[in-house]
Amino acid sequence: MKKIVVEGLKYRYPLTAELALNDVSFEIEKGEFIGIIGRNLAGKSTLCQALMGLVPHFYKGAYGGSVTVDGLNVAQTEICELARKVGLVFQNPFTQVSGSKMTVYEELAFGLENLGVPRAEMMPRIESAMALLGIERFGKRNPFDLSGGQMQRMAIASVIAMAPDIIVLDEPTSQLDPQGSEEVFQAIQALSRQGMTVIMVEHKMEKIARYSDRVMLLDHGRLVDFDTPERVFSRDDLAQYGIAAPIFARICQGLGIRTPQTGLYPMTLDDAYDQVVNWHE
Amino acid sequence: MKALSLYQDNGTLIHRVDPISKLLYIAAAIFIPVVLTGFTAGLAMLGLSLMLLVLARVLRKVVPLIGFSMLVLISVVIIQGLFYAGNRQVMFALGGVHFYREGLLFSAAICVRVLNILCAFALLVLTTRPSDLIESLVRQGLSPHFGYVLSSVLQIIPQMTGTMETITDAQRSRGMETEGSLMVRLRAFLPLIGPVVMNSLVSTRERSLALEVRAFSSRAQKTFLNEERVSTSNRVIKIVLLAAMAAAVAWRVVS
Ligand SMILES: Nc1ncnc2c1ncn2[C@@H]1O[C@H](COP(=O)(O)OP(=O)(O)OP(=O)(O)O)[C@@H](O)[C@H]1O
Ligand SMILES: [Mg+2]
Repeated sequence: MKKIVVEGLKYRYPLTAELALNDVSFEIEKGEFIGIIGRNLAGKSTLCQALMGLVPHFYKGAYGGSVTVDGLNVAQTEICELARKVGLVFQNPFTQVSGSKMTVYEELAFGLENLGVPRAEMMPRIESAMALLGIERFGKRNPFDLSGGQMQRMAIASVIAMAPDIIVLDEPTSQLDPQGSEEVFQAIQALSRQGMTVIMVEHKMEKIARYSDRVMLLDHGRLVDFDTPERVFSRDDLAQYGIAAPIFARICQGLGIRTPQTGLYPMTLDDAYDQVVNWHE
Repeated sequence: MKALSLYQDNGTLIHRVDPISKLLYIAAAIFIPVVLTGFTAGLAMLGLSLMLLVLARVLRKVVPLIGFSMLVLISVVIIQGLFYAGNRQVMFALGGVHFYREGLLFSAAICVRVLNILCAFALLVLTTRPSDLIESLVRQGLSPHFGYVLSSVLQIIPQMTGTMETITDAQRSRGMETEGSLMVRLRAFLPLIGPVVMNSLVSTRERSLALEVRAFSSRAQKTFLNEERVSTSNRVIKIVLLAAMAAAVAWRVVS
């Protein structure tokens, strides 16, 4: 089932000359884990916001083509309607704190109160979202007293509690240490396995290669490639787009080791290990 | 983080009374002494407020408030005691200056009224979480947008002072003088306010995006995480307060 269909999407922010998104088309199936990569200002955040309807409803600007999410045409659907289907986590955790709630627990309830979720249903949802992101201990803290990493976990949990079909995460682990990022990726993967469609912008290529089903490479507002991590990271023109393949892929490339079945470089530590061992024998 | 609130979390009986009842109490504390002129009603109300403040274990917090208002009130007493237009009867003389009975009574009435209002408000402010107060107003039909503005101001102002401190520290560490005479402080303030304002403008846009994502503009009937406190005791409190106000009016009309 097609969850997201984007056709010929073009978008320009008001008062700017360049297109932030230029003729982007793709389709995403239900339950896929999609990684979005690209250099700074490639248009990744703009694309995320286009899936949620913030582009064009919030920013206005020039819009062409169409984005269809779960059968709804985004350009003709209000943001609050889309918020029932799509959750969006932004880059900066600090500005995602609603600022009207005194505790983390209440902060997670904010979106649910707005959606009109019955009180009895709220609490299990909030508690499971907190448990998934490992922030149960902070339930009674003031949201502004959290560290950057804790705030980032809270921002993700706040969106997950709203139980969207599709979750879009824009660099959700920028404030987390390696251990914390890994935990968050595992949590998101768990949701993906339960059938949630995941779209994640991330600069940590090793993680993208390991967790995504498909990778979308953006550059200057254009969709350069949208394929499996092996194929995208085996391109020989990655440097041109400001991307460095995952470290394991680069090592194998240096050694000239490919996975024999596909002719592509291995992406993850385990795959690389297997191939290096084979190569030695 | 220091929240912008005087709330004292003592968890007493008074803390559990719902905010609307406390608002109604403020109304009664102002209304009843105005309707029933004379000292008794005002003093009785004041006594009741002080008793409730003691029950809520927040009297200690009220003392500085009263102390501060005393400064103003004492000057009122002195001025009215000396110069009130209706002054006839000398009460006492202090170093050749005459204080009159009428003026002193008049100013005493003002004092009782001011202290009354102060204590009633203190009872609300010191024993109610601001977010609870706003939430119950939203339940009563206040626009959620306006409610949000109220509660976010309480959270975001301390936030901004936090940013201000961070930026001051950053600038001081680069060798800028930020302390000393008024001129030095003023000169330090200008480069400080720029980043703070820019910072908050950018955050404001980002935050309004984030609010949209959390369905803030949704037209669905809002629900609340906290249960509404509709206990019988709260209903009784409201009825008693309304009855007391009605009784005051009736008394005034009859007598
Ligand atoms: N609010 C805005 N107003 C005007 N132009 C904007 C706005 N936000 C982004 N742009 C422009 O749109 C283009 C794409 O920006 P976008 O933020 O989508 O990039 P990005 O890939 O998310 O970058 P980063 O990796 O730095 O987050 C850039 O040229 C940027 O200058
Ligand atoms: Mg971005």
